[in-house]
Amino acid sequence: MFKYILGRFGAMLLTLFLVMTLSFWIIRLMPMSIFEHPDVHPTIQKMLEEQMHLDKPMYMQYYYFIEGIITEGDFGTSVKIRPGMSAFEIIESRIPPTVLLNVVSLLFSIPMGIIVGTIAALKRGKWIDTLISFLIVICISVPSFVFASLLQYTFTFKLPWFPTLYDSAAGSFAAMMHSLTLPIIALALNPIATIARYLRGELIETLSSEYLLLARTKGLTRAQATVRHAFRNSLVPIANTIIPLITGVMGGSLVVEKMFAVPGMGGQLIDSILAGDHFLTVALLIFYSAISLCTVLIIDISYGIIDPRIRIGGRKE
Amino acid sequence: MKYIDHNIPEEILNIPAEQFELVERENIKDEKFKTEPIGFFKDAMRRMGKSKPTMISLYIIVAIIIAALIVPLFTGYKYDEQNVSFKNLPPKIPGIEKLGIADGSRVLTNRKASSLEDPDRFPEGCIIEIVNEYEYKGTPVVDVKVDYYKYLGVPEDQYHWFGTDYLGRDLMTRLFRGTRISLLIAFFSVITNVIIGVIYGAISGYYGGKVDMLMTHFAEVLDGLPYIVMTILFMILLGPGMFSIILALCVTGWIGTSRLIRAQFYRFKGREYVLAARTLGVKDITLIFRHILPNTVGPLITRAMIAIPGAIFSESFLAYIGLGISPPEPSIGILLADGQNVLLQYPNQTLFPAILISLLMIAFNLFANGLRDALDPSQRGEE
Repeated sequence: MFKYILGRFGAMLLTLFLVMTLSFWIIRLMPMSIFEHPDVHPTIQKMLEEQMHLDKPMYMQYYYFIEGIITEGDFGTSVKIRPGMSAFEIIESRIPPTVLLNVVSLLFSIPMGIIVGTIAALKRGKWIDTLISFLIVICISVPSFVFASLLQYTFTFKLPWFPTLYDSAAGSFAAMMHSLTLPIIALALNPIATIARYLRGELIETLSSEYLLLARTKGLTRAQATVRHAFRNSLVPIANTIIPLITGVMGGSLVVEKMFAVPGMGGQLIDSILAGDHFLTVALLIFYSAISLCTVLIIDISYGIIDPRIRIGGRKE
Repeated sequence: MKYIDHNIPEEILNIPAEQFELVERENIKDEKFKTEPIGFFKDAMRRMGKSKPTMISLYIIVAIIIAALIVPLFTGYKYDEQNVSFKNLPPKIPGIEKLGIADGSRVLTNRKASSLEDPDRFPEGCIIEIVNEYEYKGTPVVDVKVDYYKYLGVPEDQYHWFGTDYLGRDLMTRLFRGTRISLLIAFFSVITNVIIGVIYGAISGYYGGKVDMLMTHFAEVLDGLPYIVMTILFMILLGPGMFSIILALCVTGWIGTSRLIRAQFYRFKGREYVLAARTLGVKDITLIFRHILPNTVGPLITRAMIAIPGAIFSESFLAYIGLGISPPEPSIGILLADGQNVLLQYPNQTLFPAILISLLMIAFNLFANGLRDALDPSQRGEE
């Protein structure tokens, strides 16, 4: 077990290092100098470049970049959005809303998906199954930002049940969650549908299996047999669907955050891309990768605990 | 010459060839097959034709593609034709306008009641009805529903089916031109991904051993990188534009295909017919492309179809975060992102692109599912 966790953790660190390296080279390969501007005096430009080690050869810059991150947590300095401010400081305050939004959406969608999928499988062929299957197709296909637009228009403008934008100054946690409801629903619809579709398929297969028939002949009721025997076996393989879902939710949250003015990393990333503040963009992307890789790691490890087969064989599709 | 049957007289055995004559040359009495021979693809197409959702989604896809090709030619507007005095017009469709929907009307709120009389502000006949009357600080104020086209002085015969955007550009022209571009991006990125994936997977699967190990590890590491982060980084590097989007979508998009191809190669490369071909001296490259690859065509097509809606989604996503194609060229994502800015005031600017992208994605997903069921019936129902 320990070896498994260590291996997963090592792989994550390696990936993160790779993200840093790629980010570094891609930004530095861009043709123009960051401080080249008609208003900036050449001496100042030179000074700034010296301060940021931009006058050194490439491999030295790379060394400083990696060293800064590892030893001081220095992810570079914002040059356009909030000039002179360290990227880490800007990001620090923006991590909690993003993590909250993503984690809540995921945590909300897993039980919902399981419930919906189970209902569809148990009522197979009935109208409710048809309806659920139809909704599943829609929720899987339509992008989360389209849902976000739709929800925002319907439930804040036509029916003013929810605030249009995220209320960061909300007094209580409940009020804050209230203003986060719509973005969470918009992000959760796709994972719910994906999990439900997967579970429906799995459960239908299990329900017609021989060991379930045995359980029934043993005298278990349908509910008992389903919960004790069918359910467990169907639940384990969901891990393989949840990991790709994380990337989907994280990507969707970039846009949805901006739509609902959630002061998270998504809005900041879009602003810094539009402003051309590449240092900040890279820092955000590295943090973004870190968050998504950590989530994957947590799920990987927890499934390693649940299902020993994964631990021994390594997760393979 | 040795004959087995010695009872046959010599002269019969030695009849010269020219003395033989065919009894029947014209009508060969062999029984013909009543049915046509059915190959793999024909069978698959037949199975697909039986599935209603698949066929409906196919029709929808074809209809959208045709619309994307011809609608921009017939609207009478150009996608970049600006007319700032007619900006943000509501939809107006000839025929349906009589029914009260898409009639170019809009409710203007908080207008001074006295200004309604002023023909400079409210031209003759533009007021349809007064929705709401109230007083604000002693002044009578009204919400009034107007024919927005007359209100702005748009010529009588000018129709904008989906309305206009913030620069007065016709939204229908832009939407279908945008669809064309989004589809082009999707098709080209998927084709590129398939080509890279096939070559990579084929080499890795066919040669196996150390080559395979190295290539698989490389792909695995690349696959571990968050997809969004990679795409954004490459878009920043390449700058905006259609070509950059296609390239950015190909950075990690091919890995899934290569995995599939590799697995298929492992399955087929040990078969006897491959061994036979190799014994006859067939070259590796011919073996890969002529003898093994055709086995993978079914799953490959399915995979490509599933990737198309993904690519359409990614394009819109990039447009939303400001890394789309360069203006004034539209794409579905650009239109959605522009519409989002004025969602509460002019919902039509989001509604039409939203409907179109949803329809397109649903149709492609359903079609891909149907195609998979048809090409590989053993996988039916699995997701």
